[in-house]
Amino acid sequence: MALLQIAEPGQSAKPHQRKLAVGIDLGTTHSLVATVRSGRAETLPDSKGVHLLPSVVRYRLDELPQVGAKALHHLVDDAANTIMSAKRLMGRGLQDVARLGEHMPYMFEVCDSGMPMLRTAAGLKSPVQVSADILRVLSQRGEASLGAELVGAVITVPAYFDDAQRQATKDAATLAGIQVLRLLNEPTAAAVAYGLDNEQDGTIAVFDLGGGTFDISILRMQKGVFEVLSTGGDSALGGDDFDHAIANWICEQRDINELNLSQQRFLLRQSRSAKESLSQVETTVLSFAGWPGASCPLDMELTREQLNSLLDPVIAKTLRATKKALRDASLVVDDISQVVMVGGSTRALRVQERVAELFGKPPLTSIDPDRVVALGAARQADVLVGNQVGEEMLLLDVLPLSLGLETMGGLVEKVIDRNTPIPVARAQEFTTYQDGQVAMAIHVLQGERDLVPDCRSLARFELRGIPPMAAGAAKIRVTFQVDADGLLEVSARELTSGVATAVQVKPSYGLSEQQIADMIKASWSNVEEDRGARSLREQQVEADRLLEAITVAMQSDGERLLTEQEQQTIVVQMEALIVARNDTDHHAIARQIEVLAKATDAFAQRRMDDSIKRALAGKAVDNIQ
Amino acid sequence: MDLTKDYFSNLGLPCRYQIDMAVLADTHRQLQQVHHPDRFAADTDAAQRRAVQTASYLNQAYAVLRSPLRRAIYLLELHGMEPLAPTNTSMPMDFLLQQMQLRERMEALPDIADVEAGLEQMAEELLAMHKQLQTEFAAAYDDGQLQSAEVAVRKLQFIDKLQQECNDLEGRLLD
Repeated sequence: MALLQIAEPGQSAKPHQRKLAVGIDLGTTHSLVATVRSGRAETLPDSKGVHLLPSVVRYRLDELPQVGAKALHHLVDDAANTIMSAKRLMGRGLQDVARLGEHMPYMFEVCDSGMPMLRTAAGLKSPVQVSADILRVLSQRGEASLGAELVGAVITVPAYFDDAQRQATKDAATLAGIQVLRLLNEPTAAAVAYGLDNEQDGTIAVFDLGGGTFDISILRMQKGVFEVLSTGGDSALGGDDFDHAIANWICEQRDINELNLSQQRFLLRQSRSAKESLSQVETTVLSFAGWPGASCPLDMELTREQLNSLLDPVIAKTLRATKKALRDASLVVDDISQVVMVGGSTRALRVQERVAELFGKPPLTSIDPDRVVALGAARQADVLVGNQVGEEMLLLDVLPLSLGLETMGGLVEKVIDRNTPIPVARAQEFTTYQDGQVAMAIHVLQGERDLVPDCRSLARFELRGIPPMAAGAAKIRVTFQVDADGLLEVSARELTSGVATAVQVKPSYGLSEQQIADMIKASWSNVEEDRGARSLREQQVEADRLLEAITVAMQSDGERLLTEQEQQTIVVQMEALIVARNDTDHHAIARQIEVLAKATDAFAQRRMDDSIKRALAGKAVDNIQ
Repeated sequence: MDLTKDYFSNLGLPCRYQIDMAVLADTHRQLQQVHHPDRFAADTDAAQRRAVQTASYLNQAYAVLRSPLRRAIYLLELHGMEPLAPTNTSMPMDFLLQQMQLRERMEALPDIADVEAGLEQMAEELLAMHKQLQTEFAAAYDDGQLQSAEVAVRKLQFIDKLQQECNDLEGRLLD
């Protein structure tokens, strides 16, 4: 009889056996799974040898969903049941989805949580479920290739994903039965894929231009530690804009003013293939053969030079965002030792040229830009399950968008700034606004702007049971804790009484990409406007506070301490302040606040004297301190 | 790691203003290597929570100690002082005048002929003042002159703010 080997608790029976973990790039158009074998990261193919899995799921009645190429075939003949680009819906509300509009030929319904659901032949499906079906196929592929159960996976997300979108991604993995070792930002993953192959210390810029999004990240790599210094970008900028620029040019050249949907698709398709072939040749012909319309325009030539002039305005935007990210990291272009290219749109020669021009060095393109993210994620997964004992790779990432709280007057008080290294905990103290206030609504927001409607609402909760105190006497400490996945937990506590409440921020919907892009762009361009708006809100809050205080004082002591004439004067000035407060000139409000404060000076003095008199009434002189 | 202890002792640094930035960065990296949640990815929830707390503390400590202004404020706070309390507003008149002049110059910057040169000149002057005040703070603090150190911190905060505004302006003007 063989002896049974019994391992000590917490130790594996075979200490040298590798734990199996994968990296998953859950993409908008396609997804990939990769792992590290014999020290090399590689993407895993399906049984037919295909690596890329189209991120498409088709739902059927009483049958398992089809995922990938099989589903892709039904995109046209079964459009309503064949879901693509579910990633764009992750963490979004129905309103955001409505804005994505015409691109989404699906039937939406809202469930109780506010999450939009897709109506399919197999019933209602949430975007999280659709993503889970894709993840399940990838994880099964991993297990089939590796021949054992997976310990867990690292899943990549765009650097600009907010809390809701990250949480939705994690939920999808949980739903697919995958243990998430870490959510990893896509550009960071790409830097890992390159950095570890080159094993060089230095500062890396990751230039990630996809079809519809642009991300730029600046990382420092030193002694195996990857430190993200800043991230930036534009989540509504990508290779699709190149195609539109070319298509618009064609319309101008051929005097085409109106396009129907199929003509538009035709032009975009021709534009894309012209763009791609001009990476190989100097001149190409734009053919109108098969034009879906009556009068077929004449074929035309497009040169690389002409193409470049069309692409340059779009590329210029990416370069501006790149410079901004450098400034955020307090660096200049010469500090960058390597530039990494990610995303299919970086295949365009002009992009590579302009990026090389900016940094004064050619970008790295040796790893397939479609696979580099999955390969980096696989590296990180391998480290996280402890396979690389001795090797000390560590990723220190940052918060992509600022977190804050709503304060009086609809203003956002930032509690943690963007680009702060995570994990991070930060506490901020707030106070009550009114006498005897016993509850406080806490509204958590994410974004760069000063006003609540311009930021993304993450969660609302209430702190109840605050003991009644004078306005400003209660001390409410709100603590934000962001973990290494970039996910947020908020708790609040009233310090004098110890009343506490906590919420794991788990919102039911998120921002549209356009909103994120606008928020980020607007935060740069609207500084002046925000400053004006902020001043206005601040003056309004100040005005309300003064009006509230005077009203209370008038009610209790007005008749006793003031003549009718004096009361009348104060009321007139109060009314003037109410009028000013409801207008938009913050200077006018400030002036009237001053006038009203002066008008009530004497009243305030008399109240103080009066209360001292009462406090002292009946006390012996030597008891007065 | 005892998270109730001060940042200096946990990062193995002497509790004074002038510290070796290279040592700080190195120590921070080494400690994160040990305590970061990534090292506990397959561990229990409790271990992961502890790791998140420790890593948050380390990130905060690193941010405070790395910043010349925040490090100075922190040192005074360790002495129970509140250098930036809102009630603490009196400043020497000559310093306030200088501030106003600097601010006026900065507001006029966008309209001058050579904006880039103007910005650079301004940034250089601010940096020199910043460094000078750091030296003043360090000398006063080492000398146990906490009141003078506090004045230096408050001046430093003014300059720090101007530097940030100068930086923002540069971002807007040179885009």
